[in-house]
Amino acid sequence: MIPKPYLALLGGLLGAVAIGLFSDRIDPYFLDVLIGVGINVILAVSLNLVNGYTGQFSLGHAGFMAVGAYLSATVTLFVGPKLLGAGGGSPFEQGLLFLAALVFGGLCAAGAGLLVGIPSLRLKGDYLAIVTLGFGEIIRVIFQNVSVLGGALGLNGLPPYTTIAWVLAFAAITIFVVVCLVHSTYGRGFLATHDDEIAAEAVGLNTTRYKIVAFVVGAFFAGIAGGLYGHFKQTIAPAGFDFNKSIEIVVMVILGGMGNTPGVILAAILLTLLPEVLRPVADYRMIIYSLILIILMILRPQGLFNFSYRRRKA
Amino acid sequence: MSAPLLQLDRATIRFGGLTAVNAVDLTVGPGELVGLIGPNGAGKTTVFNLITGVYPTTAGTVSFAGENLAGLRVDQIVARGIARTFQNIRLFGRLSVFDNVRVACNLHRETSAAHALLRLGAFADDEAGIHHQADELLDLFNLARFRDAPSQSLPYGEQRRLEIVRALATRPKLLLLDEPAAGMNPAEKVELIQLIQKTQKQFNLSILLVEHSMKVVMGVCQRIAVLDYGLKIAEGSPAAVQADPKVIEAYLGEDHQKSLTHH
Repeated sequence: MIPKPYLALLGGLLGAVAIGLFSDRIDPYFLDVLIGVGINVILAVSLNLVNGYTGQFSLGHAGFMAVGAYLSATVTLFVGPKLLGAGGGSPFEQGLLFLAALVFGGLCAAGAGLLVGIPSLRLKGDYLAIVTLGFGEIIRVIFQNVSVLGGALGLNGLPPYTTIAWVLAFAAITIFVVVCLVHSTYGRGFLATHDDEIAAEAVGLNTTRYKIVAFVVGAFFAGIAGGLYGHFKQTIAPAGFDFNKSIEIVVMVILGGMGNTPGVILAAILLTLLPEVLRPVADYRMIIYSLILIILMILRPQGLFNFSYRRRKA
Repeated sequence: MSAPLLQLDRATIRFGGLTAVNAVDLTVGPGELVGLIGPNGAGKTTVFNLITGVYPTTAGTVSFAGENLAGLRVDQIVARGIARTFQNIRLFGRLSVFDNVRVACNLHRETSAAHALLRLGAFADDEAGIHHQADELLDLFNLARFRDAPSQSLPYGEQRRLEIVRALATRPKLLLLDEPAAGMNPAEKVELIQLIQKTQKQFNLSILLVEHSMKVVMGVCQRIAVLDYGLKIAEGSPAAVQADPKVIEAYLGEDHQKSLTHH
């Protein structure tokens, strides 16, 4: 018998392919918004593993996204033409190249996560937040100063490989990985580390390793999201991966309810759509967006879609 | 006498100029129930922290089943068979009672994180086994009715009990109990004494008990060591320790002595 999570993943992947097949009939503007939604779902769900489940406050997610975006772009821009030749290759070859580029970007981001994680995860709370924030800025500055990667102007002319099917498929994979990992005896260690680190060690959990695993897995998917983003916009610049982007993802996690995957998915959808819905009010858009955030946080501090507290009382 | 399970050999720890535990010798044999008493700040909890690897010894050694524990991480020491409870209860407050126990079964997981991710065949069996063990433990300690409640919502006494259950789920050989009777009323203390005795027999445990309640200590311990200012000032049977003038002066006080002679 096939385990239930696999059926869900299979459903997600088939859904992604099906929507991909019908994407010609979808309004291009709506399709763009949908791709943005999917990328943010990947970012928010992966950050939720770190900030929500494991309780490590990371502000460096945009940095990992940048690593993935830039390094996958180097594959498709510099390695791709050599492999595929002047004709650009068949769609299948392009697909394989893109997959390899995305995974490479993700692995590089995961490597960066490991590099940052090992020394900094001994820190807690505010201190960790500051270190990860610093890391994100360092990454941005590095890309800004590497002329091969376009410096401050960034890279242009990335092939438009990102389709709705790719985005939704990776969103499904991200959700699958995070949910499967957390809903296991092993994964309960993330929650225990969050709740009380000293007690977690006292029941035999290697909390340092848990934190690093969360950080590395989170960074991997941030890298994937970065690669998808780059090949969607076809242009990437360091400024796109700044502190504000990290905050945007953190807000999705907090609003969704830390450690609540369905809530975080909904929050990512909602917060990506909100600025689009508010387009008609142009100048006041960001003010209204911010006001809505403040009101939501006051009314539902436990997370917009987190109902566990109420259920507990009943 | 058989080889001791736990052996502290002149274990010492200094924090700057303060010697919190000073050349303490202490043994706990297999199946033995030893008490560790002394005034507040005498270094009892620090001894626990030395044994469990929270602090490294400045001098001296701590060995368990013949192995020197120096340099091992806390979780590695737990894996060797030493579990503990805390003076101020430390449950995973937001996790359910059931999950508090299940998370402590991690040491005896047979499948890896990769199994969890790929949901390979053995994973379901392993999870079912842990599920079953956790339920059994909760049943045994009358906590089954709280199974799905968040552990922080439990009454105080039940939280103490759950902490012991959680420690047992790591399948220890030695259990360290840090003031399990703190905040309990006399009736609860009687219950606790029975619980400790039952647990020790059923799981064939050695227990080291830090406790202020003389009723509990004298009720269950076969041997008692007394700490004062980081030094071991006495050790012996409950009766001998209670009659020791040094112990009376440092900790028990004259009133305790009088109450003994009246009985």
